[in-house]
Amino acid sequence: MIKAERLTKRFDGNLAVHDLTLNVERGEVFAFLGPNGAGKTTTVRLLAALIAPTEGQAWVNGYQIGQDNINVRRSVGILTEAPGLYERLNAVQNLTLYAKLYEVDDVSGQLEKYLRLLGLWERRDEPVGGFSKGMKQKLAIARALLHEPPLLFLDEPTAALDPEAARTVRDFIGEIKEAGRTIFLCTHNLDEAERLADRVGVIKQRLIQVDSPANLHRSLYGRRVVIQLANITDPVRAAVNDLPFVKEMEQVDNALFISLDNPEEQNPILVERIVTAGGAVQFVNELSHSLEDIYFTLIEEEDQESLS
Amino acid sequence: MNRAKIRAIVQKEFADARKNKMIIITMALIPTLLVAMVLGTAFFMLNVESAGEASMDQDDLSIIPPQLQGQEPMHAVLIMLNDQYMFYFLLIPMMLPVYIAAYSIIGEKETKSLEPLLATPISTWELLIGKSLAATIPAVILTWLSFIVLIIGGYLIMPEPVFLAMIRPVWVVGMLLLSPLLALLSVFSGVIVSSRMNDPRAAQQVTGIFVIPIIALSLVVLAGKIFLSVWMVLLAAIIALAVDCVVLYFAVKLFKRETILTNWK
Repeated sequence: MIKAERLTKRFDGNLAVHDLTLNVERGEVFAFLGPNGAGKTTTVRLLAALIAPTEGQAWVNGYQIGQDNINVRRSVGILTEAPGLYERLNAVQNLTLYAKLYEVDDVSGQLEKYLRLLGLWERRDEPVGGFSKGMKQKLAIARALLHEPPLLFLDEPTAALDPEAARTVRDFIGEIKEAGRTIFLCTHNLDEAERLADRVGVIKQRLIQVDSPANLHRSLYGRRVVIQLANITDPVRAAVNDLPFVKEMEQVDNALFISLDNPEEQNPILVERIVTAGGAVQFVNELSHSLEDIYFTLIEEEDQESLS
Repeated sequence: MNRAKIRAIVQKEFADARKNKMIIITMALIPTLLVAMVLGTAFFMLNVESAGEASMDQDDLSIIPPQLQGQEPMHAVLIMLNDQYMFYFLLIPMMLPVYIAAYSIIGEKETKSLEPLLATPISTWELLIGKSLAATIPAVILTWLSFIVLIIGGYLIMPEPVFLAMIRPVWVVGMLLLSPLLALLSVFSGVIVSSRMNDPRAAQQVTGIFVIPIIALSLVVLAGKIFLSVWMVLLAAIIALAVDCVVLYFAVKLFKRETILTNWK
């Protein structure tokens, strides 16, 4: 669906995107994370054939960027950072223009379908200037979907929305995902990315890492379990340390933080040893890190690498 | 070139302009004033005796071109005056649409609607032709309408020879053929400016380059040095068409989507 090879973009010598190699599969929700100025919007513009790469090449829906830009644009839908609607026109007039530019066959049918789906049908004849931010964003999403593109670029879809509007938009993105569309989601909202994305890519000019949130978690932190005991004695500590599969152990008060490769198989043995050594096990949990932790770890590592 | 896409752009621009009453009032104001000025001048000269006498000294008569020598002096002077006003009618479609054309691109950037528009499968040719037509069509229609009102007014208040001179082929051909071509010239140049600058007023100033030769020609006609013929107007139309094509070509070539998207703040 998206294949980028060593994609690079410079503006007047300033590096905006560096050496980006990326594959996004059909039906996947790919979240693109990074701080402001990291190159997220530039990447979307490159992949939507709005700007040309300085180096490298990319294919979107089988069409090569730079060679077949009209077909690239025809085959994608894009929600830009700002909705960019014509505020004096009403919702129908806004969408009609785009339906015609995308050569939609059943203009009125598609308009009605998406205006109803996004709850804007009753307000369709009102000037868009009077809409709330959430309504404008929904209308911009409808505009991106009118021609039923297989791939959708969403650049900060919930930024600047109040929590209720953000939730409505996020739920709708979830519905688009369920419908099997491929979504390339640029976001600052890590919670949103965690909920929606199959894979995430962290970018800061160059792509730092790409994987599913679970795999990123595993590769960064391994898997850790927390065992809460009534009290921790020397025999208990020794019993745990003697186990060959225990990679690391740390004690905080009456809790043991233990790194394991395969908790599903190793936890029963671990608990049995602790109990045999006289430990009273109260709780066993797997320690999880949020995507936010993962993101900041990756960005900090990248910053340190850049400095060194 | 997809005509449906061009039509969609034109329809959107019309719908947008209809909601902007200031644009409609501004566009209607100049032709209305010009019609009132032409008819008012003729009415004043024909009905206020002292005005007619004051204008009829020997110096005035000496500038009357040979083609008008058979006319009454007052009629000949009115025909020459009207001929000069006709040049101003040709300037209307050059002045009216340029700001609209320039703003239709710069305004899109300001309201951030340009990026989703450029993300559609529309070619630069289709986009610029659509925008240019949307600015040109109302200006040309307004010019034609004001010309019709002028002819009706002229029929009612002007002597027959002066009225017949107003509707002679040189002006009818000029209005029908030359005014749309001059309007397009002005609009395309406005589009070029708007793709390089952020201020639509800059586009208006550039149009001055094309307005100056027409004003100069009108002064030559008023001085009685030239009496316009249909062939001169047709030649001017052919030149205007050629210049239109060249300016449109450069407008498209200079419209750099990437620069407009990334450099304009």
